Amino acid sequence: MSDAVAVGPAYRSSRRRLAFLFAALVIAVLPLLLTSGYWRTNLTLCAINVLLAIGLDFILGYAGQLNLGQSAFYGLGAYVSTLLITKFGVHFWAAFAAGVAFAGLAGMILSLFAVRLRGHYLAIASLGFAVIVHQILLNWISLTQGPLGIYGIPPPPAIAIPGLPPIEFSNQVALFYLVSAFALLAYLLLDQLVRSPIGEALTAVREDEISAQSLGINANAWKVFAFGVGAAVGGAAGCFYATFVGTLVPDAFFITESFTILAMVIVGGMGTLIGPVFGAILLTLLPELLRDIGDLRLVVYGLALTLVVLFMPGGLVQGWELLRRKFAGARVAGGR
Amino acid sequence: MSEILLSAKSLHKSFGGVRAVRDVSYDIPQNSVFAIIGPNGAGKSTMLNLISGVYQPDTGSLTFAGADMAGMPSYRRVRLGIARTFQKIRLFKQLSVLDNVVAGFHIHHDIPAWQYLIHAGAFRRDHARCREEAMELLSFMGLARRHDTLAGSLSYGEQRMLEYARALATRPKLLLIDEPAAGLNAAEVDTLLDRIQTTRKRDVTVVIVEHNMELVMTVADRILVMDYGQRLFEGIPSDVQKDPAVVAAYLGGELT
Ligand SMILES: Nc1ncnc2c1ncn2[C@@H]1O[C@H](COP(=O)(O)OP(=O)(O)OP(=O)(O)O)[C@@H](O)[C@H]1O
Ligand SMILES: [Mg+2]
Repeated sequence: MSDAVAVGPAYRSSRRRLAFLFAALVIAVLPLLLTSGYWRTNLTLCAINVLLAIGLDFILGYAGQLNLGQSAFYGLGAYVSTLLITKFGVHFWAAFAAGVAFAGLAGMILSLFAVRLRGHYLAIASLGFAVIVHQILLNWISLTQGPLGIYGIPPPPAIAIPGLPPIEFSNQVALFYLVSAFALLAYLLLDQLVRSPIGEALTAVREDEISAQSLGINANAWKVFAFGVGAAVGGAAGCFYATFVGTLVPDAFFITESFTILAMVIVGGMGTLIGPVFGAILLTLLPELLRDIGDLRLVVYGLALTLVVLFMPGGLVQGWELLRRKFAGARVAGGR
Repeated sequence: MSEILLSAKSLHKSFGGVRAVRDVSYDIPQNSVFAIIGPNGAGKSTMLNLISGVYQPDTGSLTFAGADMAGMPSYRRVRLGIARTFQKIRLFKQLSVLDNVVAGFHIHHDIPAWQYLIHAGAFRRDHARCREEAMELLSFMGLARRHDTLAGSLSYGEQRMLEYARALATRPKLLLIDEPAAGLNAAEVDTLLDRIQTTRKRDVTVVIVEHNMELVMTVADRILVMDYGQRLFEGIPSDVQKDPAVVAAYLGGELT
């Protein structure tokens, strides 16, 4: 047993590296297997939703702040970057950075105002924020063209690598690679963050704020930090969404989107990063697989959410753990 | 030895109509064990909350190691060296015993900012050092074997010991413990007594709020007796029982 403890961290980090390579491989292969435009669209939507979900999970699962404003950060990232590109001719990546920064800043400001609110009150305040942002997008017609929407948003400019043909993001596969590479990078960075003393501080705030402060943890500052990071990641998803779909309408960022993202986090297993990844993939693809039911999409979300909360509050991650333990148990029993 | 670590000057604190602390002053010498006793509702926990910064006094002042504590939030006081436990235990119940203590090292990490995103050498060293020191603190409190357990599933006495270990992780100069013996069995109280004495030998000043008189009389260098928010008595243990006001407050019960 002491042996296992001694080799623990190194073993785990090599397994992490393997998992990372495997994820990269899956990302590389998927669009080659799924060649229809329809499935490639879904793949890219999965990557976008993964970003939204891990961003929310950082705020909700780690810092314990019930944020229902993720749809607003999503929308702000999308609109800020798009307006900079279409109205002011800003370069895509500069606009992307601005969209991410703006969403992150909005998250921090919301959190600063709501810093004394907890649980239900924070949920209502952040939901109110999402309503306000949606209304602004809808009614500031001179800027956003309101419900008419913005059309013809260009793809990111091609990247030229000397000696190779340029990477054109008008190509669906290239764009999928771009978004999922970014999602993978965001995942890796968040994973490092949550397994650092910053993650320890956030978790302490989630578990007991007064207790956390008694250890020197500035609870309010860490909440603002979590909101900033999580909202910025949501904003990045928005930038990609705009350039991917090519069209922006305010209703893409209606408050129901916040609940959709929340469902992804809860179904996947909040407070783990890997859970929401699978939650996002599942809840992106599930409604597509059940396409015939049309508007019952939300019912599926609701049902999945209810079932999970009732029977598996730890989400897919908990289900996986249960299976694994059962399987491992059976194997040990069988071996003896 | 008689240098003053914490000095309170005519503190007042009211909650609506309840005057929880009324005009209380005292000095706590460095490297001493200072006990606060008194009947239920006397204002002892409120006093600890004033020192740790959970509450701010309505009037009056607190000076810790020469620094004025006015308006200073609790998390900043920890950096100056004030740590505490809670009368109603407040552990991170969903975290392991070890992680509870590790969280106590929050103000003592030594990691360059970029290594929070890319864990490298300094990060690993810090990580290993914190866990090692946390295990030492757990051994000190007799919890080493339980390091993997969820804090919430510890016995009541173990939870008190864990809160004590977690507070020590902040490396305090002043440790505030609120009824650390409540709910402990006799053996655990003996262990606690020993740990408090060891803590004090390690140059930590201790303020203890406690109803267990035997423990208080053994461990305390000075005792503050409170009743209805007021200071009844302050002095050395052997004088407490002789004080008529104190005897009256306790109706001669617990103290004789
Ligand atoms: N946050 C609060 N809000 C309102 N009243 C409070 C608050 N905290 C304490 N009080 C009141 O202040 C008085 C002193 O309470 P305190 O908890 O300091 O007593 P105590 O001496 O610690 O008692 P015990 O031995 O029962 O722990 C009590 O009347 C209590 O009801
Ligand atoms: Mg009390």
